[in-house]
Amino acid sequence: MGKRDGDVRISLQTLRALEAFLENPSEELSGADVQKRSGLASGTLYPILLRLESAGWFVSRWESIDPVSAGRPRRRLYRLTASGLARASGIFASFSRGVLA
Amino acid sequence: MSGRGPRSGEALARFLIRRAARTAPPGLAARLEEEWLADLTARQSALGRVRFALGCSWAMRVIAREFGAAAAAAAGSASGQRLLVDSGGYDFSRLSRRTVAMIAIVCLHAAIFYLYLTTFGPRDAASMSTPLAAGFITAPHRTLRPTRLPPPTLTRTVIDNVPEPRIPLDLPTQSSAITVVHRSQPAAPPPPYPTPKPVNVVMGGPGAGFPNTEDYYPPAARRLGESGTAAVRVCVGPSGRLTSAPAILRSSGLALIDGGALRLARAGSGHYRPTTEDGRPVSGCYPFLISFRLRDF
Repeated sequence: MGKRDGDVRISLQTLRALEAFLENPSEELSGADVQKRSGLASGTLYPILLRLESAGWFVSRWESIDPVSAGRPRRRLYRLTASGLARASGIFASFSRGVLA
Repeated sequence: MSGRGPRSGEALARFLIRRAARTAPPGLAARLEEEWLADLTARQSALGRVRFALGCSWAMRVIAREFGAAAAAAAGSASGQRLLVDSGGYDFSRLSRRTVAMIAIVCLHAAIFYLYLTTFGPRDAASMSTPLAAGFITAPHRTLRPTRLPPPTLTRTVIDNVPEPRIPLDLPTQSSAITVVHRSQPAAPPPPYPTPKPVNVVMGGPGAGFPNTEDYYPPAARRLGESGTAAVRVCVGPSGRLTSAPAILRSSGLALIDGGALRLARAGSGHYRPTTEDGRPVSGCYPFLISFRLRDF
C-alpha cells in the first residue's frame, strides 16, 4: 500500500497517537480506542494510522469476531510492530533527553 | 440533535461515511468504510457521531491526497476511481459541539428564510407592489396683466408771509474766538516741607531718692538663698511719678524675686527721672533692671 521506508513526519499529533500505543505496546487498539486515549479528532487520527501502517510502524487486522453473535461490526485493530516500537521508543527517549532526533 | 433517540444521528453519520468512502483510493474504500462504521458504534451521542463522520470525510481527503496516487498507480490507473485532490479545506471533526450547533441553527434559519421566499415571497411582493407613476405637475397658466394706475395729480400751494425764524442763542460776548495765554515762566514749585528738627531724647530711669534694693529684698527669697535680676517696664510722667502700674518685662525665673522687683518699682514712684526731649521732661515708658543679690557678711 505504500512506502516502507519508515520516513514519517513526526508531528505532535503523531506523538499523541504513538503515546496511546506505548502504554501497552503489545495491545491491539482500534481507531476508536486510540481516539479515546489520545483525544485526536477522527479527521486527524485515521490519516496518521494509515501513514504509520504504510511506513511499517503498525500492522492492522480485522477483529476476529462474529458480528451477528457479537451484535456489533468487527473493528480494525492496530498494533505496534517491533520496528515501530523501537522507533517510537527512540523518539520519546530523545524527547526525554531534550533532543529531537 | 443529541438525545433524541438511542441512535439518533447515526443515519446521517453513516451516509456521510459511505459518501466519503466512495471517494477513497482503490483498495481502501471498503476497508475504511467498514472500519469507520465499526468505530462509529463507539460514539454515544448523536452529535459525536456526526462530528466523527465529518472528521472521516476530512480524513478521506487527506488519505486520497497521500495514498491516491500510489494506489492509482498500483491499480494501473484503470479502475475509474476518482482521486481527490486536497483543496485546502478544514477539518470539520475539530469543530466543537457549540460550533456545530451554531452552524445547524444558521442552516435552519436559512432554510426557513428560503421557504418563506419561495412560498410567500412572490405573492406578498405582488400584493404589496403598487404601480408607480411619474409625471410633471403642470400648474394652471395665469396671465398677469399690468394694472394701469391714474397719473398722480400734483398741486402746488404758495404760502405767503412766512415769519423769519428767530432762534435765541446764548453765546459768550467775547469778541475773539482765540484766547492767547501768555506763559512766559513755568509755575513756581511748591514750598518745601519744613524739615523737623532732631530731638535729643534721653530715656529716664531711677532718680534721686529711689528706694534701696536691699530694703525690698523678699525675706523668703533671702532665706531660700534666691537671687536674680528682673526687667521691669515703667511708664513715668514728667513729674517722675508712675502713670501706670509697672510690669515685668523679663522674668528672673523666680516668683519671689519678680514680686520684690515690682514692689520696689511701685515704691520708687516720684523718684524716677522722666524721659527728656531736648531737656524737656515728657511722659515715657522705659525698662530698667532690678537685681537682688545676696551678700556675704
